[in-house]
Amino acid sequence: MSTDPDPCDLTAHEVLSRLHQGSLTAVQVVQSALERIRRVEGRRPTAAAYSPTPEELAEDRRWVHAYLHLQGESALERAAEIDRALERGEDPGPLAGMPLAVKDIFCVEGTPSTAGSRMLEQFISPYTATSVARLERAGAIVLGKVNLDEYTFGSSNESSAFLPPVGNPWDPRRVPGGSSGASAASVAAGEAIASLGTDTSGSIRQPAAFCGVVGLKPTYGRVSRFGLIAFASSLDCVGPVTRDVSDAAVMLGAMAGPDEHDATAAQVPVEDYRDFLDRGVRGLRIGLSPDYFRLRFPDPGSGRIQEQEIGGEIAATVRHAAQLLAQEGAEIVEPVGMPSTRYGVPTYFAISRVEAASNLHRYDGVKYGHRTSQPVEDLREMYRKSRGEAFGVQVKLRILMGMYVSAAQYEKHYYQQALRVRTLIRRDFEQAFSPQGKFRLDALLAPTTPTTAFQLGAVYGDSVLMQYADLLTVPANHAGVPALSIPAGLDATGLPIGVQLMASDFREGLLFQVGRTYERATQDEAWRRAKPSLLEDLSAHP
Amino acid sequence: MAGDITPELFAHLVELAAFELPAGQAEYLRAELNKQLESIRELEAIRVGEAIPITSHGVPYLPAISSRPSADIIQPFPHPEEILAQAPESQEGYFVVPDIPHTEL
Amino acid sequence: MSEYEVVIGLETHIQVKTASKVFCRCRADSWGAPPNTNICPICCGLPGVLPSLNGEVVVKAVRLATALQAHVSVLSYFARKNYFYPDLPKGYQISQYDEPLARGGRFELPLPDQAVRHIDIQKLHIEEDAGKTRVVGGRRWIDMNRCGVPLIEMVTGPDLRSADEAAQYLIRLRQLLRWLDISEANMERAQLRCDANVSIRPRGSSILNAKTEIKNVNSIEAVRAAIETEFARQIREVESGARVMAWTLEWDEEAGVLRKMREKETEGDYRYFREPDLLPIRLEEGWEGRILADFPELPLARRDRLVEQYHLPAYDAEILTEERSLSEYFEAAVRAYPGEAKRVSNWIMNEVLRLLRERGLTAAELKFPPAHLAETLQMIDQGTITLATGKALLQKSLETGRAPRELVAEEGLAQIRGSDELQALCLQVIRAHPDQAQQYRAGKTALLQWFVGQVMRASQGKANPQETARQLQDLLGPER
Repeated sequence: MSTDPDPCDLTAHEVLSRLHQGSLTAVQVVQSALERIRRVEGRRPTAAAYSPTPEELAEDRRWVHAYLHLQGESALERAAEIDRALERGEDPGPLAGMPLAVKDIFCVEGTPSTAGSRMLEQFISPYTATSVARLERAGAIVLGKVNLDEYTFGSSNESSAFLPPVGNPWDPRRVPGGSSGASAASVAAGEAIASLGTDTSGSIRQPAAFCGVVGLKPTYGRVSRFGLIAFASSLDCVGPVTRDVSDAAVMLGAMAGPDEHDATAAQVPVEDYRDFLDRGVRGLRIGLSPDYFRLRFPDPGSGRIQEQEIGGEIAATVRHAAQLLAQEGAEIVEPVGMPSTRYGVPTYFAISRVEAASNLHRYDGVKYGHRTSQPVEDLREMYRKSRGEAFGVQVKLRILMGMYVSAAQYEKHYYQQALRVRTLIRRDFEQAFSPQGKFRLDALLAPTTPTTAFQLGAVYGDSVLMQYADLLTVPANHAGVPALSIPAGLDATGLPIGVQLMASDFREGLLFQVGRTYERATQDEAWRRAKPSLLEDLSAHP
Repeated sequence: MAGDITPELFAHLVELAAFELPAGQAEYLRAELNKQLESIRELEAIRVGEAIPITSHGVPYLPAISSRPSADIIQPFPHPEEILAQAPESQEGYFVVPDIPHTEL
Repeated sequence: MSEYEVVIGLETHIQVKTASKVFCRCRADSWGAPPNTNICPICCGLPGVLPSLNGEVVVKAVRLATALQAHVSVLSYFARKNYFYPDLPKGYQISQYDEPLARGGRFELPLPDQAVRHIDIQKLHIEEDAGKTRVVGGRRWIDMNRCGVPLIEMVTGPDLRSADEAAQYLIRLRQLLRWLDISEANMERAQLRCDANVSIRPRGSSILNAKTEIKNVNSIEAVRAAIETEFARQIREVESGARVMAWTLEWDEEAGVLRKMREKETEGDYRYFREPDLLPIRLEEGWEGRILADFPELPLARRDRLVEQYHLPAYDAEILTEERSLSEYFEAAVRAYPGEAKRVSNWIMNEVLRLLRERGLTAAELKFPPAHLAETLQMIDQGTITLATGKALLQKSLETGRAPRELVAEEGLAQIRGSDELQALCLQVIRAHPDQAQQYRAGKTALLQWFVGQVMRASQGKANPQETARQLQDLLGPER
């Protein structure tokens, strides 16, 4: 019927079995991805001032612009090594031949590791993050570093210093989400088969939902953070962005586990997550919470609590998912009250800003990164000019808020208060999942985002929706629990909708179990055959 | 109490943050900060019982899952020169910066 | 006697003697290494790095806290102290703030008049060191080798009452730190650093007035001099009607003066919060058994015991316990020697210590074990060798590596006494010095000792002095 898919559009497990069968080589896979990049990337983002003419803007808004740094040559060399290993009958690893896009928040030796900021535009890392090293050892092939919101501060990838911004392959005039926007976009566009991202308040899950791919935020401490340029140390999680649940399971298995370089990496054994993929959901208890179907926030004027229901299509998609899982034998439990859900955003504000402001202290122009070339009278002026020139507005905003929240006169109120509110949020989950509790859930099912991908430039800045959009994803960061976003359909305009599953600490296997079941149950649904518009255009004009 | 961020307080925060702001950015940032104070007010208003402890990482680090301190062994980094090579200014193996302002007696 | 008394509190930073740094595995001690060669991404604060705690630092800190009778917290927390400084690569120092490792200890400070003052140790905590800066041609040159070296900070209460006491505190602290193998504590190598908080008040008062902080004192003598200078200055201020301001002062060693220090930017608001990249320091059940397993007797306790157990004067006990292996050497020698402990003590304080100082060794490193000392003393007691031979034997044994008894046998070092050999020697010496012999016979009897000396020389110290004197008297003639 249809022609064979391009290798770059396969899943990692499909690639692996073809490599072992001998019907595909790793070099072919990488070449396929490089060719796709050539066709859909558009121009390379740079830190130069971005003031496009209307024509240039229209042109930019046709393409993905995911990659900040591409290393095609070394990727082909690595692929050739893998092919040779296969010929010798050696095991090249469970991710062999998988082209991987690494969010440029990870330090990878010998590559510019910029965090999407002018501050680190010239920084070449002398070491490699543990998670990336482990993926490479498992056979993954790093194709390059992809764009992100500057220092991961943002939910649309619009705040990168490197422009033009990333375009969503489903409609490149729309955002891919953020901060792992280019991670999700590159996987959706076939520019990589998987990507390594980070999730601090939803930054893997939300772009995964916007781009129609799978994104996992593992349990806090499941994957080492060593080499991840830090934003909020107690919230940051490293996780996979993939085409399907099976790939996420294998990728997590390859990189999870203790690390002597990360004291917060948990000493919990890493299971073979593939074992969970075919267990089905019979007998599992899956909950629905009303607190995840509405946004509750204080009205800016009056301070009174407002409520906004989460929109029809998204809510319907979640309900449809619940029905399918029930048909597969799960027990749907509702309503599951999670009353502290709405505290997630203000708590996040306080905690993340304090940690971020401190984590960004090291960017002072002394040892690496940007130093002003303006003449300066003294050291203090050097700090001020260097940091002033190199940090974007969103970064400055977060640092200033961090200073405010942690300043001595306020510290007791806000930061300490936030850490205690976090306990309330955590308890919502403990009570939901406790085997002795009222609900005894195995998983919680919820929307990932309140909307689908919005237009570039549309909400960047101030809308309530932007500020509280993290409301559905951030509670899992506060509580530390794992959360998986999977594609679950399209809205009326053809944009992807994601649903998320949350489980208790270190039960990623269960998330894969439910996610895979849902994939199988929906494999014939029409929306599964849809492709991002950018790829449709390619097929139409090969 | 979360009051408005006045220009004076804003200037103090900028001082703490050690960055210069180009013309026009200061007022924009101060306005944004004040809008975001809504979140802080929300946080303040949450009533947390006296007995609620802090949670540092979400996942409780019970001894069973906690990493142990490292052994006292020397493992030198193989290429310290690659670190110095990133310096904006260096001389004879040192990182070089301007001097610190000081108050004369 | 001044109508004012000085009130001093000391804050010491102790460089811990471990192999590697506190949060990374670079070498801890890089004294003398070329700049920026003992660094890694972690101690240089590169993007993306995380600290990982060296467990040995905790062990040593707990042992020190125990020696100070401080309360050790089973759970303590690291905290970030945020400020900008070029030798602080992360822009924050990982230290401890709200929950330090230990609190509420006390330091026993012996005073000259046999009294003991108890100095409160308010707290003791672990933190990381910063790098080093030199000012060269109006710019600052930074060496990060020292970043991340483990430090223990100890803060006393305002309990010291003179510059001398402050100096004594540092001397005793250094002794304790070396005793427990926690630090080399060499102030000249910045392994022990001290800031002094100084204030004055009318003698007899108990209020605390504004204090100044003195930094950059690099030796115990400098601490003494700086405090004395500051005491005098504060008196002058107060007597001229001014108030003492809470300045930070720097001691200029060369000029011998205090200067008001450059103000650190953003000092005061460090915005402390618990370090999220590290887990709390947790002392697991049974930690006393593990960490304090071979906890030694402490210096002052040992000193007092030596006095009591061996009936030694306080002076001897003080010298013998100055350094731990010396005290162990002493006791081992005493156990091997049937005679009086005082005799052993004398020999150690004189002969052994001289050898140690000449060679820059500790008693543990001396290749002349206590048993050999005991052996030497016994040979002297038994008359096998003379005192002079005995003293020379220490050196010989060290140089040749042979035991004393062997040397005596091989080199024929045995004493010459009551024999024809002695007589022959005396005659030889007398014949060689006819003028002196004549003077002696003429009445200059003091020359007898001179003749004895000559015989000792001729016999390489082996002639028994008393017998020699008698022989000489016999031989020299009728002047008795």
